Formats: sequence, structure tokens, C-alpha cells
Amino acid sequence: MIVLGTPYGESVGKSPPYNAGSVKCERGLFMKSWVKSDEERDKKITRRDFMGAAGAVAAFTIVPSHVLGGPRRVSPSEKLNIAGVGIGGRGAGDLDEVGSENIVALCDVDDRYAANVFKRYPNAKKYHDFRVMLDKEKNIDAVVIATPDHTHAVVAMNAIKRGKHVYCEKPLAHSIYEVRKLTEAARQAGVATQLGNQGQASEGTRLVSEFIRDGAIGQIREVHSWCNRPISPRGINRPKDTPPVPETLNWDLWLGPAPQRPYHPCYLPFSWRGWWDFGTGVLGDIGCHQFISIFRALKLGYPTSVEACSSGVNSETAPLASIIRYDFPAREGMPPVKLTWYDGGLMPARPEELEEGLRFGNADENLYIGDKGKMLGHRLLPESRSKEYGKPPRVLPRSPGHHKEWINACKGGEPAGSNFDLAGPLTEVVLLGNVALRMGQQLYEKGLKLYYDGPNMKVTNLPEANKYIRSEYREGWSL
Amino acid sequence: MNDKKMTEKKNISRREFMGGAAAAMAFTIVPSHVLAQPPSEKLNVAAIGAGGMGAGNTRAAASAGANIVALCDVDWAKADESFKRFPKAKKYKDFRKMLDTEKSIEAVIVATPDHFHTVAAMAAMRRRKHVYVQKPLTRLVSEARALTEAARKYKVVSQMGNQGHSGNGVRDICEWIWAGVIGEVEEVHAWTNRPVWPQGIDRPKEVHDIPRTMDWDLWIGPAPMRPYNRCYAPFAWRGWWDFGGGALADMACHVLDPVFWALKLKYPTSVEASCTPVNKETYPLASIVHYQFPAREGMPAVKVHWYDGGMKPERPEVLEIGRKLNQASSNVLFMGSKGVLRCGEYGDNPQLLPYERMREFTKNKPAQTLTRIKTSHEGNWIEACKTGGKATSNFDYSGPLTEMVTMGNLAIRPENVGKKFLWDGENMRVTNDEGANDFVQMHYRDGWSLEM
Repeated sequence: MIVLGTPYGESVGKSPPYNAGSVKCERGLFMKSWVKSDEERDKKITRRDFMGAAGAVAAFTIVPSHVLGGPRRVSPSEKLNIAGVGIGGRGAGDLDEVGSENIVALCDVDDRYAANVFKRYPNAKKYHDFRVMLDKEKNIDAVVIATPDHTHAVVAMNAIKRGKHVYCEKPLAHSIYEVRKLTEAARQAGVATQLGNQGQASEGTRLVSEFIRDGAIGQIREVHSWCNRPISPRGINRPKDTPPVPETLNWDLWLGPAPQRPYHPCYLPFSWRGWWDFGTGVLGDIGCHQFISIFRALKLGYPTSVEACSSGVNSETAPLASIIRYDFPAREGMPPVKLTWYDGGLMPARPEELEEGLRFGNADENLYIGDKGKMLGHRLLPESRSKEYGKPPRVLPRSPGHHKEWINACKGGEPAGSNFDLAGPLTEVVLLGNVALRMGQQLYEKGLKLYYDGPNMKVTNLPEANKYIRSEYREGWSL
Repeated sequence: MNDKKMTEKKNISRREFMGGAAAAMAFTIVPSHVLAQPPSEKLNVAAIGAGGMGAGNTRAAASAGANIVALCDVDWAKADESFKRFPKAKKYKDFRKMLDTEKSIEAVIVATPDHFHTVAAMAAMRRRKHVYVQKPLTRLVSEARALTEAARKYKVVSQMGNQGHSGNGVRDICEWIWAGVIGEVEEVHAWTNRPVWPQGIDRPKEVHDIPRTMDWDLWIGPAPMRPYNRCYAPFAWRGWWDFGGGALADMACHVLDPVFWALKLKYPTSVEASCTPVNKETYPLASIVHYQFPAREGMPAVKVHWYDGGMKPERPEVLEIGRKLNQASSNVLFMGSKGVLRCGEYGDNPQLLPYERMREFTKNKPAQTLTRIKTSHEGNWIEACKTGGKATSNFDYSGPLTEMVTMGNLAIRPENVGKKFLWDGENMRVTNDEGANDFVQMHYRDGWSLEM
């Protein structure tokens, strides 16, 4: 049983927050490959050695820097040298969040889209190709990646292999296989990682866990999660016209490992999320945000099965609307639970406990159904019960901020809340939904579920689904 | 005169004959010469909307012994097939003219787009014509109520064109559920692959030339006037609020028919929906509608969940791994306290799940208590028209069924998505949102009314 749910387990309230319970879980997840890699790496003592034992984190902060392999040791008083890859869109915001450090290099394949951000950091070196940047700029300590989904893995892997800390936008990668490889590589390299699901650092996610561990709604067997996106076109086919590539864009680099196709403005800068070769649909876009609260509170690991239906999916784009259903097995004293995802405006029926007149909207939300009550987000239903109950005991540590967590981790602090050991499996589960979704009509007609072997990344009952676990790379590209 | 008297006399005797409980059983063993009728006894039937479904209904009525005397269509090219099949039938574009001119018409088939059903069927009933109206009976709750009351008032034989209601499957389902085979049913899931026409789109700016064979003003009928575009007629009107009822109204009169009958449903107490983006022009591409019904006649309160546009419920755990869930392009799951029953689009092929249970059950099915219909759905109506009996999906049944179906669309209106509406069925009113009630009411174009 793999648990990727909570970084704060049984010894909550103590300092440091990463307790023996969660460390044990983590070891369960990576022990095998870690032992092997340890031998390969001449028995170097790594950060992971410390993480393996109870109380490790306390010891961790006092390890002298020369013992550590891989990343350059940066003390809390020093500044990190950070590079950004994919800076025109979400990357600009991420860089703002880490702007107290040195932004030493910036990389984007689209000069026009990135122009404002280039201007904002006049001292940073500018690159189109992240490989060239990483080769030349030896002083980079850490990389912030906010490219489209299909290039996350190649960029992140390159950085990790060079011992750079990595902050990567969600979803961690484009395919389950890539996520697994990144998770393993980051662990071996001992770099600090953080997924860009910043909601994980919020008060709300902690309240969800605290309510549930306090027994506020009893045992939970059903969770619904929904989001009213998409906001870009879906269910469409590849355009036939081939407008010229803008002079400011390196289309070949934008494509990266994805199969070659002619440039078209329908893909970028914004609308790539709907195209299977580049994005991961609404679930991939939002799932890592919305599932994190559920995963932590319910200590979820891999599901046993998944099924999906949609308004119509094709080999080119994600659908306009979908429902994806996961079955998770019993875990740590918790019963099996069903998690249902809705997008495109669909959502579950209004809970009867919610008072007349209160809004039940189709924007992002999670609904937890327990045997002793219901919770919408971190609000107990109905309002009267919420008032009567008040706040649950505050037992979980609060975050200094999502990006700050990562900066701290890069400087030898405790692992960030959505480090890849946790965010990797979370992203795998999110992307598994897309595997079911992409089976499309075949699943709809048969009304079948996909039965899933998480540790081995295999759909066991419909082998043809496994082609969606790993995307093919274009020649010249690899992990 | 003598002929007419004879007809009446014969009709009376047949009606009496049919009145017995075992009528249908007896019916099949009546020697054929007793039932054979001279041509003069054929029911004189006219059709309003003679292309599309109307062509099929008219042909089926003719094979069931109807005399097709007049055909009306606003597009004669669409009706051409029917015109050729019934060369003696008088041709019309305007149903009002047809009804006023052809005095021999005894019964009328209405198979127009939905927005036209009510005015056409009402005009026919006011002239004491029996009516067969395609499903959904109407576009709006208030229209369904008006037709139901009119059929009663004018004492005409009525039938909605949900032909599955004449099938054996719905009757099997009723008998099994009434015999307690799956225990108490508190949850039903129904889904369809519709729409298979465009929805979730806006009104086109482009105006197409009206086909020369079409009277666009008449096609629009009671709906607000708009310029012609091929996206409305002849085929894809179902997706437009002004003309059709979307996937729900198209299919639920079939798919929810066994649910409505077997669970003895009438008015829901609430409805809510979620859907893909929707506007005031077309229905959404996909939707989920949740109905709640109160406890009735010894049955507990039940929730009915509708999914369309590719959405479907979770695969039931009792269904063996590897077995297909879908039996048809639309399906139903009755979730009982003692088991799960599923069926296809028209209540067809009902099965208990898991398969193992069905195998056992087949050896020991409950007794048949409902009369099976041996004719076509149209034939069942013709038969009732001739005998003065009741057709199986007469408006006393199909009116409330249509009300239930179409009130679901209230929750899909763009201004209503995300709200849960409490429904007073008797009074056709949303009780917790006054503004929502407008959708239930008829707003006909000048010159159109229920008194035509």
C-alpha cells in the first residue's frame, strides 16, 4: 500500500512537522530503487539517508554541506540562483514568487510572449533552448518550469540530472511514465522539488485534514470534485490550414518531444491544454490542485480502478465535459472510497444538508460525504452544524507559503509540501483519469472500468489502454 | 346512415368484447372472419407532419387498417414519400385548412417538430378527432396539461408516440418490480447517447434561402419568428429551445417510460441539473438532471438521475467484470434494495444483475398480470379509436409523463443552472423561485393559440 496522502502524520504538532509516520510511508514508496541507487552512487550519504529514520528531519538541518552530493549547498542566508523555463505565462507568476532570490537565467521559445518577463529581469541571461542554458549557466541552483505539459518532463529531468532543484508547474508531467521517472530521478539526485499546486500550502487543505481526522463527518466513502473549465476549445479536430510560424517563435523547440505537426495559433500561447499531444485536459490542469486536499486527508494512494465518460473525446483534443470515477481501496483504518471528478460544468446533485438559498456552484469545489456528515470544501454542512462545531483542533503545521516551502527546501530545510515523492503519485492518479478518458467510446459502449496496477503502471483488464501511460517521443528527444 | 349506425353498433359490441380482463388473450383466438372489416369501417386518418416520423407513423397506421385521407406538411418535398404512398390522400400545407375542409377525418397523427404539437393536436381534438402525437407530447409542462385535459374533455382517444409503451419489456419491468423482485427502489439512473445533433451553439447570423417547397411561416407556427437557416429544419430543430426539447425531451419519454410506469410516478417534488455551457438558443451538449419523487402507493421516495451527451452513471458493482453495461444507445438501471434491474431504451430486454441472478430468475418469473399488446403502437391507437377504448399511452398517462420530462428542462435553462427547484406538480409551479415559472408557460406568436 502506497500512501502519498499526508506529509504530517502521527506526530503532528511537534517540530519539525515531517514525522515518523509519513517518513515510513515515503520509504515504502521508494525504498527499492533508493537502495539500488545508493550502491550505484558509491554509497554516498545522501539527504535520503536521513529521511529514512525517525527524527531524521531534525538531524537533517545540521548536516555539513560537504557531505551532501548533487546540489550546491546554499545556506539560508545565501541567495539561490534560479533559472526559469517557460516564462511567458504562468512562469512569470512563479518567478515573482521566488523573486527574492537571484533570477540568473530565463528561457522561452517565444520571444514575444516572454518579452515583458525578459524586461523585468534585465540581468538574467536569455535563452531559447533550456539544454543550452543548463549547459552554459553553471551557477544555476534551481529551475522553475512552467512550460506546456508536454515539455515538463524533458526540462525537469535535464535539470534534476544536473543536480538542480526543481519547481515544476502542475501537472508534474504529460504521462504517468514521465511522472514516475521524474519522481525516481529527483529522489536519487537528492534535489528539492515542489509541484506548482500552490493550494496545498493553504489553510483550507489543512482544515480539511483536521476536520476529517477529528471525525467531524465520520468515515468517508464518497468524494466528489468538480471544476467548470475548460475555457479553451475542446472536442475539435486538427486545423487544416498552416499559417506561417511567427518569427518570434521557435516552433521546433515548442514542440519538443511531441510528434511533429505544422504550427497553428490554435495551440499557443494559451490553448494547448485541450490538445492531447501537449496538454492533459481539465483534469490535468486542475486535478493536482483539487485532489491534494482529498489525497492528504484520506491518505490516498493508487486506485484499484477508474472509469470515465465524456461529451466526446477524439485522438486530438480532450472533451468539453467529462466524469471520471476512481475506486480507492481501504487504507489505514479508512474504508474504501469512491472519488468522482466532473468538469465542463457538470457537478453532483446538491447536498440536501445545504440550506436553501446558499449557492451550490459549478466552479472548483470538493464535496466529502461521510457517514456522520458532509463537508463542502472545508465547510461542514449545514451552516448550523458548521457554527456549532467551530474549528477542528489545530494540529497540523501551517505553511510559510508554497514557493517559500521550496526555497527553504533548496536551502537545506525540510522537504516542500508537494515534493515529488508526494506530488508524483498524486499526478499519476490524475493522469490515470485521462487514460480512462482517452479510451473514449470503447469504455462508454462497454461501460467498463479500467483495473489498475499502480506500482507497475499497468491497466490489467484492457491492455490497449496502456498506450496512454507513456507518450512516444520525437526523434532526438528522451528523458 | 345505415352504414354509420351499423358501425356504431359493431363498435359497441367490440368495445364490450374488449372490456373483459382477459380480452387480449381471447382476442388472439377469435377467428379472423369475425374481425375482418369492410373498407368502409376503416378509420379515416390524417397526418400533420407527413415526412420524418410522420411517414413511419402513417404507414404503420395504414397497415393497422387506417384509411389515410389527408396529409399535411409545411414542406412538400419532405412529405413526398408519404404523398406517393397514399396518392388518394388530399395534400395540405396548413393543418387548419385541412381540418376545416376534410370533414371525413376521424383521427389525426401529429408528427411535427415539438413546438407545433400542441396547437395541432388541440385543433384536432377541438374538432373531436382522435389524436396520435409524437413524443414528447409537448415542449412545455403547461401544454402537456392542456392536451391531457382536452383529451378528457373532448372524449377522444389519445396516444403519445412512445412506441416502447406497447412493448412487452415495460410490462415485464412493472410486473417484476411490483412483485418485489428487486425490493424497494430508491434510486434510478437513466442515460442516453443523445444529442446526435448540434447543441450548445448560438443562433447563426447567416440566413439561408428558404427551400422553395417549404412554408417557413407555417413551420415556425406558434414560435417566435426568426430567419430560416438549415440548422433548424428539416432535421436539427431538437437542439433549439424555441422548437425542441433537447436530448432529455427527445429520449426520456421513451427511456423513463418504464420508470414512470413501474414506479407509479407522477409529479416530481424537485429537479436540479448541471450541464455544459448553455445559452438561450440551444440546449447544452451534455447534462445531468436529478429528479426527486415523494413516497407513493407503498413505494419509498425515489431519486431519478438522467444523463445525456455521453454521460452515464457509475458501473454497478453487481455487474460481473467484463460484462457490458450498455444494452442500447439509452439505458436504465433500477437500483433496488434487493437487486439491480436494467433495461434498454424502450424498456426492452429487462435483466436482473448480475447475470447469474437473471439465469435463476428466468426459471421462476412472476405471473403476467398486464395485458400484452399484439399490434403496433399505432395499431393499438387505431384499435382504441374504433372500439372507443383507451390507447396504452393515452394522455392521462403520457401527459404527466411528459410534464415530468419537460419540467427537467427548466433546470437546464441558462438562468437556472445550479439551482434546485421545488415543484408543485398539481399547480405546475416552482415554489422557491417565482422567476423560473415563466418557462413553464406558453408564449405563442400572434395569430397562434390553443383555440384554432
